[in-house]
Amino acid sequence: MVFVVFFLFCIISLSVQTSGMTLSLEGMGRAFVTPFQKGYNGIQQNIRMLWAGFTELGDVRDQLRKTRDKLQHYEAVAEELGEIKKENDRLRKLLDMQKRVQYDSIAAMIISKDPDNWFRTIVVNRGSADGVRVNMPVIAYVGEEKAVAGKVVEVRGSVSVIEPIISTSIKLGVMFQESRFPGLLSGYAANSNFAMIDYINKSAAINLGDVVVTSGQGGIFPQGMLVGKVIRSFVSESSPYQRAIVAPIVNYNQIEEVFIIKKEPDKELVELMGKVE
Amino acid sequence: MIFTYIFTAALLIVSLIMQAHTSFDVLRIAGIKPDLLFITIVYCGFSFGSFYGEVTGFIGGILHDAASSSPLGLLTLPKFVIGYVVGFFGRSVFKGTMITVFILLFLASLVKGIITLVLCYIFHEASITSVITVIFPEAFYNALLAPLLFFLFDKIFEKELEREGY
Repeated sequence: MVFVVFFLFCIISLSVQTSGMTLSLEGMGRAFVTPFQKGYNGIQQNIRMLWAGFTELGDVRDQLRKTRDKLQHYEAVAEELGEIKKENDRLRKLLDMQKRVQYDSIAAMIISKDPDNWFRTIVVNRGSADGVRVNMPVIAYVGEEKAVAGKVVEVRGSVSVIEPIISTSIKLGVMFQESRFPGLLSGYAANSNFAMIDYINKSAAINLGDVVVTSGQGGIFPQGMLVGKVIRSFVSESSPYQRAIVAPIVNYNQIEEVFIIKKEPDKELVELMGKVE
Repeated sequence: MIFTYIFTAALLIVSLIMQAHTSFDVLRIAGIKPDLLFITIVYCGFSFGSFYGEVTGFIGGILHDAASSSPLGLLTLPKFVIGYVVGFFGRSVFKGTMITVFILLFLASLVKGIITLVLCYIFHEASITSVITVIFPEAFYNALLAPLLFFLFDKIFEKELEREGY
């Protein structure tokens, strides 16, 4: 009897995935789990910091000296850049071009990742209280490179859920940095760390290592943000387009900190994309 | 019995939080991490019978669905079904040796994976390549960890198991 009730519950819940009841049940479940996740994350961070205090003191001293040297160098560079910026602004004014928009960003720490091997999401410690909104782009730094990590898909008071670019549900407008041919990027397969670009014109010459950037056409990501590098491309006789597999710059398994760009999505474009999907 | 309930609930929450935390990524092999929550559910079914197994599976599955981006029910259904089925062939039928536990978890994880794949195919999106990229590696990984975890759980539930006559 209990088995039948559980079975029916699951089947009905799966059949009406977007209904208010199902979503609120899921929300209640998440609200129950989140404090435990935050607590565990806090404890783990404190232990790590305490341990680092003992073991990394020598390294920190060394890094401080190096950072001071670097700072001196960058101060000189900043002065030079200031001059270049002024010159750039003047030339842009002369050419009557629009100023490139700069966005603020919020640093966020990852408190959990999807516990299952079938799905890929990231939960971060910033929510609506910090100004995070659904469909804001998310980036991460790998060394000194800044690349796309994903987008915000769900926001709660103090946490947000991010869908990474390797998720099969994501649709991201991209283009090849060199040839400028556009395509649509999504996750390659469940559990894969690669992404796939579809709808690439057959006449586009794609080479191994070609850099892929955002096209800015989806209304969510600004144009020209680094996404990844091509590792394989293939043409099918039956399809009018070609495909390429991309290794994202940001590795899902190694990511620990992200930056949420405070860019409100272009509502009309997002609605239009939603209708097309 | 109240001791069993409290420790089962604690084990479910701890295993869920552990496998969702970023530090757990160091345990990934070929992108796969073991499903500690599932191993806990199989243990409960194996040790305390089919009713306990299915209820633990259902509660654990709901929590798993809530913490994951999966639609509610997709990870719950395979878990309580396996919890129920394993309860039939529990300790009353098989002895909890290392090999039995390894085979049990390997088969249970395979069936769980196949049910999930079918549900993904019907209600979400699925690719048959998941059999190779997710189902088999996860089954092997779960099976590899299970004897150690079953040993630890046996220590935690020692008195309860004695009362059950094992």
